[in-house]
Parts: sequence; C-alpha cells; structure tokens
Amino acid sequence: MRKVTGILLVILLVNVLIVGLAGCAPGAQPAPTATKAAAPAPTKAAAPAPKVESIVVSTWGGNWKDTLDREVSKRFTAETGIKVEYEVGGTVDRLAKARAAKGKPQVDITLTTTHMGRLYISDDLFEKLDLSKIPNSKDLFKEAVRSDYHLGVWSYVYTIVYRPDLIKENITSWADLWKPEFKGKIGLPDFDPSHIIVMSALLSGGNEFQWEKGQEKLKALKPNIAGFYATDAQSQDLLKTGNAPIEVMLSINAFHLKEQGVPVKIVDPKEKAVVGIDTVAIMKGIDPARREAAYKYINTMLDKDVQEKLAASFKCGVMNMKANLPPELKGQPGVLATPDDWKTKAYLIDDGQRAKMMSAWKEWFNREIVAK
Amino acid sequence: MAVMEKELPIGLTDRISRLPKRRLALLFLLPVLAVLLVYLASLGFLFQYSFRTFVPGSLQIGGFTWANYWKILDPLYLGYLMDTFRLSAYTTIFTLILGYPVAYALARSQSRPFSSIVLILTVVPFFTGVIVRTYSWMLMLGSSGFLNALLLRLGLISEPIEMMFTETAVIIGLVQYSLPVMILLLAAAISHIDVAYEKSAQSLGANPLQTFLRVTLPLSLPGIISGSIVIFAWTLSAFPTPQMLGGGKVKMIAISIYEQAIETANYPFGAALALFMLVLTLLVMGGLQWALNRPGRGNGHG
Repeated sequence: MRKVTGILLVILLVNVLIVGLAGCAPGAQPAPTATKAAAPAPTKAAAPAPKVESIVVSTWGGNWKDTLDREVSKRFTAETGIKVEYEVGGTVDRLAKARAAKGKPQVDITLTTTHMGRLYISDDLFEKLDLSKIPNSKDLFKEAVRSDYHLGVWSYVYTIVYRPDLIKENITSWADLWKPEFKGKIGLPDFDPSHIIVMSALLSGGNEFQWEKGQEKLKALKPNIAGFYATDAQSQDLLKTGNAPIEVMLSINAFHLKEQGVPVKIVDPKEKAVVGIDTVAIMKGIDPARREAAYKYINTMLDKDVQEKLAASFKCGVMNMKANLPPELKGQPGVLATPDDWKTKAYLIDDGQRAKMMSAWKEWFNREIVAK
Repeated sequence: MAVMEKELPIGLTDRISRLPKRRLALLFLLPVLAVLLVYLASLGFLFQYSFRTFVPGSLQIGGFTWANYWKILDPLYLGYLMDTFRLSAYTTIFTLILGYPVAYALARSQSRPFSSIVLILTVVPFFTGVIVRTYSWMLMLGSSGFLNALLLRLGLISEPIEMMFTETAVIIGLVQYSLPVMILLLAAAISHIDVAYEKSAQSLGANPLQTFLRVTLPLSLPGIISGSIVIFAWTLSAFPTPQMLGGGKVKMIAISIYEQAIETANYPFGAALALFMLVLTLLVMGGLQWALNRPGRGNGHG
C-alpha cells in the first residue's frame, strides 16, 4: 500500500511539473527538433564562408507550415539551392525553446505574432534587421515594420463571426454583441482577451492605454457569453456545434470554416476589426552565411508574387503594397490590401502595450469575466 | 560437477546474481537515483524561479520576492484550488460508485465470456486518447448534441438544456476518463479476497447483502483506498478535459498554471503555483492515507 502511494506521489509530482512549466523555463534543454539539421560550426573570420545547405524556419504547424513550404520555401530553394527545414510548434513553446538555445540558436528564422516578437526582442533573441538586404521591404505598408527587428508578413483580424442559420438578427458592429437577444450565445478567446478588452474600451471612449474605461462595459457582456476557447480548433468547434453561434474569432479560421461548408458570416464591423500581424525575424547568433540566406528567405517571403499566393492560401491581408489580391478576396473582411483598408477597417493595438499588459489583462478577465 | 561449473564461462546474469544483496539493490537503485536527481534539479530550478519578480512585457525576471506566494492567497487563485479539490473529490466518489459493481462483476463472475467482455469494455477506452474521448462528450452534451436532440425529439424538453461548459460536464468527462483505472484497481483487490470468507459468512446465516457489507466490502478497503488515491491524484492534474468541457468557465489549477506559464509568460507565478499545488497535494494525500489507514481501518488485507 505504501509502495503504491509512493509511486503515486512520484507520478503526481511529475504530472504537476510537466503540466506547469515543462519546457517553458529558460535554461531548460531545448527539445530535439525533428526536422532540424545539425548547425555548421562557426567559420573563422579569414576563411571563406561555407556553402549553406539548409536553413531552419521556426513556424506554426499544420496548414501554416505547409503553405509556407509550398509558396515560399520551394521558390527560395529553386532560386538559391538552399533547402528549408522547419521547427514547428505553438507560439510560446517556440519562444521557450529559443530562450533555452539563446546564443546558439537552433533555428535561423522565426515567425511569431507581433507582440510575442516583443518578448523575443526583450530577451535579445532577434537580430537587428538591415533592410538594405531586403529589397522588397521598400514596398511594404508602414504597418509591416513592427520594429527594427521584426517585419510583418501577413495580416488578419479578430472580428465577429456568426452562424446566420442560428442567429436571425444581422450583426454589423461590436456594439451588437451586447444585445439581450444574444444571451448565452457568444464565444470568446480566453487565452488572449486583448481584442475584446480593447474593443470594450474603444466603445467606452478609451483605448489600450486607457483600458479601464471599458471595464464596466465588458462586465455587462457577461450574460451573453456562452463559453471561452483556448485554441483555434476549439473556436471552430464552438461554431460548428452551435454551442457558441456568435464568436470573436480569427478571420482566417472563419474562412477555413466557410471552405468546409459551415455557414458562417464574417462581420466587417463599423468600428473596425482588431488586426493581428504575424512577423518574421532572424535569430541572433547565427553565422554570417546563414544570416545572408535568412535575409534572402525573408526577401522572398515579401515578394509581390509570393505575397499574393500567401494571401490566396490563408485568406489574409498582404504586406507588400504592390501585391494584387485575387478578385474573390478583394473587399472581404479581414483581408487588408490597401492603405485605405488599413485606415478604415483595421484597429492596431500597440504591440508594446499589449505585451506589457497581457498578464494583467488576463488576470482581470479571469477575475471579472470568466469567474462565476 | 563443481569442476564443470568452473569451466563454464560466467555470463553477466550470473555475475549479477552472485553479487551481495546490498550491492544488487544499489545496482538497481542507480537508475532510480539518476531520474530522481533530474527531478530534484528541476524542482530546485522551479523553487528559485518561484521567488523571482515578474517583469511585464519582458522575459527578464527581477529580484527575489515573496509576492508570488502571497498572490496565491488571492481569492481568485484560492478559488481555483478549492474548485480543483472539489472536482477531484466528486470525480473520485462517482468513479468509485460506478466502478465498484463493474469491478465486482469482473472479479467474481463465473462466466469467462462475460468477464472477458467486461474486461474488454473496460480496457478499450484506454486505446482512445483523452482528446477524442472528451470531444465525443462535446458532441453528446452540446446544445445541438445527441442528448439534447434526443430529448427534444421525445418532447421531454422544449429548448436545449445547457450541459456544456458546466462543472457537471467536466465531472462526467473526468469520471469516464478515470473509470477504467478504478475498475482495474478494485477488481484486482476484490479478486484477492478469498471466496471462502464469503462462503463462511453465508454458512453462518448471513444473507448476500450482509455478506457483502460485512465481509467483502471491508476486505476490499485497501483497493478502495488505493483506487481513490490514484483517481484523486490523477484528477488533480487534469488539463484537457476541464479545458474542453468547461469551456474556460471551469478552471482547475493545471489550467491556471498553464495560463501563467504559457499564455502570459509569467513564469515566476506559474512556478509558485505549481510548487504550492505540489506541496498541498502531498499533504492532502498523506493525510488521506493516514486517516484511512489508522489502526482498525483497512489493515485486514493486502
């Protein structure tokens, strides 16, 4: 009996540790990367730079990686002869790995969200970019240059998405979410509540810097909330099953549902939708030859033709002003393609404020909105 | 004969078997010690991290502080702790109530095909991942799910009942997930009870219910205790089931730790929460075992 309990205590200890912080803590050993090739030894200053055979791109898995591979990497390899390998994982998982490998990065290029990029920068993990090595950067929207270290590669929005077969009223604005007839019908992301917090503040005369102004407004939304989701897959399930027929959702996921035949309507809210930007950066500490290859890869990614293909695949906005969207995407909610789109349709939360406030926003949201 | 033995080459197995008992024990203990050292090092790392200051908007950490532990006393996090222990207790109780009859049938059935079928039905869920099983419950309990559709069709309800994103849904999911483990532990305990005890009781005039209550049940107490501790500990660290069936509204402590460490990069508070939970769990389980194993309780078998 005691032996059993002893074993159980060890199992419990392991469980708590794994669930709690495994892999997140800096200093932990990086998990082996399935597709990662061994990094070449640093070159001596006088010796000629060795030929780079491959570079490693850190990105999200599934469709993200597949599309990147199809639309960017193939062209890059055809032009340079350099193969592309991947480290795939969640946004924060990859950040944890990058921290663990600080100084000896396991990857050359990282794609992450714009505000998470701020955390990489705060930990000195990104290389300061030399835009002269990215000729396509001169064609970028000003919103694409998120810092001296990371550039936007595509955009999307968090907006209202609903099932018109289950919701008969027409939703046209964020303010509509507060209607009493939507009691128990709304799904929200709880892993990142910044979108609804900022939008509530904007509706109350504030913004992300004066977010407290929207607190009472957001509390009033509580009866209308059906549930919260923690992943993209969950957000889609909530709509599919009808458990939350109205959702604050990533536009790309909504387009994906549409393609699957789920009847959803993506709202272009009159108060603007909250923009999300995914960014690309070069990891600090890679050797010069790999750095040059990384610059070429980023330049390929921001090429006009490549941007058009990425937009067509993801149903997202482009960052190159010269890129033309396919006709079926033009004017679609969340597909930002012109300076006017950015001005009239998009609300961009300040990256620094978002990164700084995330913990406090999350705690407030858990206390006041999620708690019973 | 002795000469022949000397001439034979001595294999590794033979060498090991000839070692003194103490050395043999040490040999087997070495891997355990190595693993233990790794965990202790991790714990030490977590321990020092739990006393560091969180710097918002940065991955850097500040100086040493007690603030992370004080923060656990915030009603929000104490509430998560209470909810976790309450849900674990409910899950343990329901798993025990549902699992005991099945385990009894499994252990005492005279029919081999019957016990085989019960065993297969018990074990098969193990081959399905927790995500798939939980997702099935989402399809069952959703507002347009199977149960609501059935009740609506039968005219028993006029509009869907809210079953998803409730504690009830989470408990249902956790019980279903834990049930096979409880059944197997209880069945093992019951099968070790000599049938002669039950027959003796019956020959002395006890009816089947009295036999069960006064002989079988007390003798199966060690299985009940170990099963309950396993399920309780198992449920304390539950993550995907409450996450999916609770819809973010039911927050168990593992979810809260995940949120701190993964979603907001507040590693110091995440570390404090994880360590606090660990210590609390060890205390509660130790207390539980002490209470249940007091002289005169559960010490008759096993």
